[in-house]
Amino acid sequence: MTFDIAAVLFQDGVANGAVYVLLATVLVLVFTVTRIVFVPQGDLIAFSALTLAAFEAGHTPGTVWILALGAALALILAGGKAAGERNLAGLASAALWFGAVPAAIVLTALFLVPKEAPLLWKMAVTCALITCLGPILYRLVFEPIAAASPLVLLIAAVAAHFGLSSIGLHVFGAEGVRTPGFAGPPLVVGDLVVTRQTVGVIASSLVLVGLLSLFFRRSLSGKALLAAAHNRRGAELIGVSATAAGRTAFIVAGLIGAISGILIGPMTTLYYDSGFILGLKGFVGAIVGALAIYPLAALGALLVGLVEAFASFWASAYRDVIVFTLITPVLFWRSLASPHVEEEAE
Amino acid sequence: MKRLTFLRRLIFGLAAATVVVMPAWAQVKVGIIVSATGPAASVGITQQRTAGILPSTLGGLKADYVLLDDASDTSTAVKHAQKLITDDKVDVIIGPSLTPNSLALLDLVTDTGTPMISLAGSALIVSPVDAKRHWTFKTPQSDAQMARIVIDHMQRQGLKSVAFIGFSDAYGEGWIKEMTKLAQAAGIEVVASERYQRTDTSVIGPILKIMSKQPQAVFIAASGTPAALPQTTLAERGYKGVVYQTHGVANNDFLRVGGAALAGTFVPAGPVLVAEQLPDSHAAKAPALDFIRRYEALPGAGARSTFAAYLWDAQLILDKAIAAASAKATPGTPAFRAALRDAIESTRDVAGPNGVYTLSPTDHLGLDERSAVMTQIVDGGWKLVK
Amino acid sequence: MMRRILAWAPLGALAVAAMAPLLLTPYQLTVATYIMLAAIVCTGLVLMTGVAGMVSFGQAAFVGVGAYVTAALSTTFALSPWIGLVAAIASAAVLAALIGLITVRMSGHYLALATLCFCISFYFLVGNAELLGRFNGITGIPPVTVGAIALRSEAAGFALVLGALALVIWWTRRLLASRTGRVLRSLRTGTVIAESFGVDGQRHRLIAFVAAAVTAALSGWLYAHVQRFVNPTPFGVPASIDYLFMTVIGGSGQVWGALLGAALVTTAKQELQGLLQPVFGATTRLDMLVFAALMIVMLHRARRGLWPLLQGLISLHLPAPPIVAGIDLPSGRARPTPGLPVLAASHMRRSFGGLVAVDDVSFDVRAGEILGVLGPNGAGKSTLFNLISGTLPRSSGELSFLGQPLASVGARDMCRRGLARTFQHVKLVPDMSALENVAMGATQRGHCGLAAASLGLDRAEERRLLGWSQHLLARVGLADKAWEAAGSLPLGHQRLVEIARALAADPVLLLLDEPAAGLRANEKTDLARLLLELRADGLAILLVEHDMEFVSELADRLMVMNFGRLIACGQPGEVRANVEVQEAYLGVAA
Repeated sequence: MTFDIAAVLFQDGVANGAVYVLLATVLVLVFTVTRIVFVPQGDLIAFSALTLAAFEAGHTPGTVWILALGAALALILAGGKAAGERNLAGLASAALWFGAVPAAIVLTALFLVPKEAPLLWKMAVTCALITCLGPILYRLVFEPIAAASPLVLLIAAVAAHFGLSSIGLHVFGAEGVRTPGFAGPPLVVGDLVVTRQTVGVIASSLVLVGLLSLFFRRSLSGKALLAAAHNRRGAELIGVSATAAGRTAFIVAGLIGAISGILIGPMTTLYYDSGFILGLKGFVGAIVGALAIYPLAALGALLVGLVEAFASFWASAYRDVIVFTLITPVLFWRSLASPHVEEEAE
Repeated sequence: MKRLTFLRRLIFGLAAATVVVMPAWAQVKVGIIVSATGPAASVGITQQRTAGILPSTLGGLKADYVLLDDASDTSTAVKHAQKLITDDKVDVIIGPSLTPNSLALLDLVTDTGTPMISLAGSALIVSPVDAKRHWTFKTPQSDAQMARIVIDHMQRQGLKSVAFIGFSDAYGEGWIKEMTKLAQAAGIEVVASERYQRTDTSVIGPILKIMSKQPQAVFIAASGTPAALPQTTLAERGYKGVVYQTHGVANNDFLRVGGAALAGTFVPAGPVLVAEQLPDSHAAKAPALDFIRRYEALPGAGARSTFAAYLWDAQLILDKAIAAASAKATPGTPAFRAALRDAIESTRDVAGPNGVYTLSPTDHLGLDERSAVMTQIVDGGWKLVK
Repeated sequence: MMRRILAWAPLGALAVAAMAPLLLTPYQLTVATYIMLAAIVCTGLVLMTGVAGMVSFGQAAFVGVGAYVTAALSTTFALSPWIGLVAAIASAAVLAALIGLITVRMSGHYLALATLCFCISFYFLVGNAELLGRFNGITGIPPVTVGAIALRSEAAGFALVLGALALVIWWTRRLLASRTGRVLRSLRTGTVIAESFGVDGQRHRLIAFVAAAVTAALSGWLYAHVQRFVNPTPFGVPASIDYLFMTVIGGSGQVWGALLGAALVTTAKQELQGLLQPVFGATTRLDMLVFAALMIVMLHRARRGLWPLLQGLISLHLPAPPIVAGIDLPSGRARPTPGLPVLAASHMRRSFGGLVAVDDVSFDVRAGEILGVLGPNGAGKSTLFNLISGTLPRSSGELSFLGQPLASVGARDMCRRGLARTFQHVKLVPDMSALENVAMGATQRGHCGLAAASLGLDRAEERRLLGWSQHLLARVGLADKAWEAAGSLPLGHQRLVEIARALAADPVLLLLDEPAAGLRANEKTDLARLLLELRADGLAILLVEHDMEFVSELADRLMVMNFGRLIACGQPGEVRANVEVQEAYLGVAA
């Protein structure tokens, strides 16, 4: 292996790693707030790229129908529950989150995104569509069992992934897409040729992770989210609703998923079922960070990207064997290093 | 006495009527197993669509199709086949779409005496024709046949070295195995043999490795849109050699995703891909055009797919075979299935979109050189290489 | 009578199931066979995930190990499938033990991910192995033969798998009811309970891991010979997820839940397609969406799984199991002479970073006395407790037990030496009966392990251990609650069960961590009477309590801690009169 090859592999590893970092970050965020390992995060990323590609091709993206269907169900459930409890605030919130907002986004996507619309506008609508899916998923799948054991939540997340990839295949088809990205000639730094997309991905990833860190350390709502994570009952006593915290976490998850999809769409081909393996690698990062520590999770995710790039050069047929075997000692070390947490029983 | 005669006449009349009416009422049941969901969905979906345009009669009998999706899973394929055979009592099974799934059914169809026409690529499914493969046939050109076309083309081009990159699954493995064998025999050096996965987001590692070996040609053994990634990566890294793909890429989505990076790529394919450009004398031209007309009229189907055409080939073979078998036995009986098997085995000169089928007790595929052509991607379309 | 019928019910069910080939079509038999194959794997998962609390994403790979080992042996090497069975189980056991040695020490999600890594690696290793037919797999695997008969037909395959499933379920149920099983059941809340009663928790986690792997390999062996073809797809991560899915849907803590979950998920996946064709049309596949929706609704309605829900619905009130006759086992230890120190600590110190939680504490506890430990919150009582019980290593200082100096010891060793404890926050296995919880404490008084339990050689010992536990339950006044789930008892009773459990370990020193907390007045009186009786038996008791009055009346001596230091020690009267104590603990200026 020459230096040139190593440099290219490094760059590729970092770029892919940056996407895993975004995933790992979201997984940690969602887990700390809700104790859910959010398996469908990868699906959101794939759907985001597929949605943008549909806009580019001048089709109505299938996401519109997924959103419409999901929102309608959520509206019926949440509205029905709030009406039953004669909870006006709940009714209003349901009408807003599962009625007005999705309706506005769906109508925009249907009528206001012509094929020749600027790319940025299409990206914005894509983001809105995917972000809006987050809280709907939370309402439909997780909210009713928010207090269940982590294992049950994990299984519910897996079921949600099954459902999403089934409907994804139906509306997007089995073939992949590539979306347009940061245009312009590659940057040349010494001997290195770096594509703008790579720079964009890494920069966006850094900014997003930084923003999240700030959000949790500095802002009041960030702290409220963490409080809800540590003690549901306690947080509710001081006026932080665990449900609202969960919903916020899922909005952030949706947004970052949408952005991640738009970021990697131009670097690779994405399919309706790309999400699972992406999610898996993000999950590895998140676990290295003990599902709690953002910088470690990011580092773990980056490591996965790098090992993957080099392993695929050395022995492509055994790439995943190498990646996942190398992960095991890291897991062992992390498991010993992190304070022993008693698993919760139901 | 008179009444008895009447009764007798009545009975005879009814019996005669039944005999006359029988053929019109008799129906042949065809089970179809495709992989319309799961990892192989891109292959199976085209076949699932084709199931919707199959003719309503086969060999003069009303055809009843039972379509099932095995979700690309071996065990599900077995369960489905069992259901088709015992619950639906089908006379023949078409499919599955995948090689491992077809291999998994060998014992079942042999034990129950049910003919099966597989839609999967590997020659392993039908050769050697031994006791286990007595009941098994297939329509897709085998990997070896298609590989032959590629290697011949490479030799004509005077290429001396090649690198392979393929799916880390049965499809990629099957191709690369045949290609390696043939390339060595033809004196073409295989300098690298890499693998990647369908949903990989990057293949820079294996591509760099391939390029470091400086092969004159790169052969990509993958299907559908995922086959575009290695090629776009090659283009990005400035690879100047010849690129070959397999017939698994033959659909419009592949052209869309690959874009300009695909220009000049050689793709071996069934005649159906470039039917319009075939000489009128080519036996597959007419059936291919007929299939394309029907398939492309389907809403949302997009352009033709060679995978879809395999199901059409199977139907054409069955049409003849069922006509022959129904003369010997009644559908729904073991005797009919045995007769059908024999009839399929004696298929002669049935021209389908993917070539001309002439089967024999030693050849359960029966395709000749007319089943494969070399095409090239020019201006975002498929062009027949003469 | 009812009970006798119920005892024979499984056998009856088995007989009915064995008749199935006469009634079902070959297709239904095939589906039933696949259900049972999955149920075998899920039973292992119940043991590992539901009972011992370890989540695995790698079960399918162990199924694959079983399937591939026998497939290769019976095709390439033309060996009998029965040799394949032995080899399959042996390789899975060895592999699981090797992987387990590294991974079972990992907690929670780390273990889940490690098993996932194994599953992915297995898939690609097999897919790239020439000997194993790469991704195309191995064809022509012979069916299992019994004598001269090849089990080739659907009915024969069904019967074979049914037999194996019955065996696995029978074995699992027997295991769970045994001494080893009780330890496994205690692991879901961590290894603390096991370790505190002298049992190697990690070793039992490994046992559960290996047992689950072996069951999976058995299913793989059956799969290979029933389907007569193997390829890597059924052994990948999605399949592992499916198994976990089935287990949780069925009710992960229940052996029958495994069968129910496997049946439900397999049938739904198989039949939804046909059922939905008229709804969505023949060429639209949304069955997985409907499947996912059904599963989510099911989790919403029954998050503990379907089996517990069903049990609740039909409210199958089993008649109470027979009363176990109490047996007063003689103590296996030499009782120290009353008045002699059982435990002596000198200059004990423990610091966490810069914080010194226990600072230079010296004291002793004597046989036949109750030593009360008092102190405000954060005084270091709990740390002291953990130092004595061996849960925490000390930073410096000396500790001796029955005259023997203790260099560095763990909780497990302390229990074996004769120390037993209760917990400030009750740690019982909630879904295990009070009696079995107590028997958990007596684990060290038995010897029968996994093998003995499997072969039924542990009957006599079980009778002794359960009898002893019943005797102790009677002693704490809970004889009639023996078969009630510990988690459903009121808190006061749970504390008594904990004391009975500690006594079951046949201790010479009893550590009680706030046993009176949450008890009502009359319950406190009963507890006090019990403790006095125990003292009269010559036991040394160390009592950490908040309730000043309760301790003062009971204790022979009191020690008071504040800021990690011992500030007073002596007769209750003297200590209560101590000025420093009054300031620190009672918060009143003298």
